[in-house]
Amino acid sequence: MIQLRQALAISRKDVESYYGKPPLITWGLLFPAVLMLALYVKDPGTYLAIAPGIIAMTLLFGNTSMAAIVVTFEKRAGTFERLLLAPLTHETMVLGKAVSAAAYGLATSLVLTAGLGLFLGLRLTQPLFFALGLAAGGLGFSLLGLMAAVMVREVFEAMTLMNFFRFPLLFVSGVFMPLAHLPGWLQAVALASPLTYVAELLRLGITGESYFPSPATPALALVAFLLCSWFLTAALFRRRASQ
Amino acid sequence: MEPPPIIKVSGLTKAYGPLQALQEVHFTVGPGDILAYLGPNGAGKTTTIRILSGLLDRDAGEVEICGRDVAVEPVAVKRLIGVVPDASNLYPELSCRRNLEYLGELYGLSRPRRQARAGELLDLFELGDRATAPFGNLSRGLKRRLTIAAALMHDPEVLFLDEPTTGLDVLSARTLRDLIRFINGQGTTVFLTTHNLQEAEALCRQVVILIKGRVVAQGTAATIRERVRRLNLLEVALAGQVTAEQLRRACPGVLAATPHDQAWRLEVADVHAALAQLLAFSEAAGLRLEAVNSTGASLEDAFLEILQENLNKPEAIP
Repeated sequence: MIQLRQALAISRKDVESYYGKPPLITWGLLFPAVLMLALYVKDPGTYLAIAPGIIAMTLLFGNTSMAAIVVTFEKRAGTFERLLLAPLTHETMVLGKAVSAAAYGLATSLVLTAGLGLFLGLRLTQPLFFALGLAAGGLGFSLLGLMAAVMVREVFEAMTLMNFFRFPLLFVSGVFMPLAHLPGWLQAVALASPLTYVAELLRLGITGESYFPSPATPALALVAFLLCSWFLTAALFRRRASQ
Repeated sequence: MEPPPIIKVSGLTKAYGPLQALQEVHFTVGPGDILAYLGPNGAGKTTTIRILSGLLDRDAGEVEICGRDVAVEPVAVKRLIGVVPDASNLYPELSCRRNLEYLGELYGLSRPRRQARAGELLDLFELGDRATAPFGNLSRGLKRRLTIAAALMHDPEVLFLDEPTTGLDVLSARTLRDLIRFINGQGTTVFLTTHNLQEAEALCRQVVILIKGRVVAQGTAATIRERVRRLNLLEVALAGQVTAEQLRRACPGVLAATPHDQAWRLEVADVHAALAQLLAFSEAAGLRLEAVNSTGASLEDAFLEILQENLNKPEAIP
């Protein structure tokens, strides 16, 4: 319980120091809003089919980037060492860092969704699954960003490293078209991507339809992904911290 | 009965690839002591602090703080220690007070406790008027003070200070030394690394000298100075220009002459004989002898001699 409170203290501090700043908020909002508007202008009738994928992609790029930037910045400033000196388990540190980045992703996505509802008529048919997708995606992609950040020294190295998995994930995860429209072999590969499950939960939330017959499949897959990423990132923190 | 040591290090060994950073390091620090951990750059001082504070894994040896092994119980040990690294590393965008309160949160202090403690420390370190200023806007001296204050938020048993006065002006350095004495006076054990030997001598009861990752001397400052007792030092001020060569030629009793603060620092074998030679030289050369001080070897002299001895030794381990 104390460790959880300490994790939340880290998150609050990070939101105050980094994520609450206007440039970051606008950065997280403008990119997906412009992309969504372009799709809407192209074809107002079909943009809803792509909206879940775009929101999932925004979460992937926004959260991995922000989490990585914050940690590499703190490593350079020496404040990351300050965190490592605190009486916290590495799991607590990782949780604190991931929750703040996830809160950023969640907040920008909710504002984006509200804007889409207000101006382009987007309606959520199953808000619970939509929220679940946002939360799991935000947390999971933040963990990926932390993992990359802890392995390198500079922000550009983190970005380069992350692009090795972010772009392939976009290709295999049914972001730009529904999963069922992909070739069979690609549908099989898509099952290994966490982005697939995030996009499908968001799709279920927006359209009420999903590639998976039951929402339990993407939900459980994401829980497994979150737990694995959390412990793996904590192990990397421990290894990197002690070198 | 002597109380058990608060820091116990035995056989501590650490290598970075082929570079042997620490080799079989042994020392203990008693409760309430101030230990000076001295050595030239690259001797392994910061590596020792990083291992003792749980930031770095050791290759071999034992490290106990308050009877707990830092590798086995890192979280428990981190609660007992405060660390001030060589660079002030608080959050530049947060205010002084918020920095302290945040660290209090990380150490599990309740809100009223951390608010009260932050206020106490801001007052103690004379930073009360800067409480709302962002850390990044402070001068180097004030940053150093706040960094030490931050390490004391949870009232640690042991405070590690890695070169706390490096880069500070004379006044800021003196203020910090007074604060370190005060903190130690409150019962906190202090582990200090510094390149300022006068500072070490003024502050510390125990001294450990580390060279190339090995402990080459340890004890009180007095026992370490004993190692160079055979040296007699004279500080001599002469009105006029004179070279070291002239001094050594005119005074055979002078073994070495080095300029020091507008005067000469002379190593002599026999004070009486050297003084007689100096007087004769000054009269013959028409140079007025303005001041003569006879001093014993300082910790700095002892350190330099020990350093010279050990730097000339062949490497045991590549």
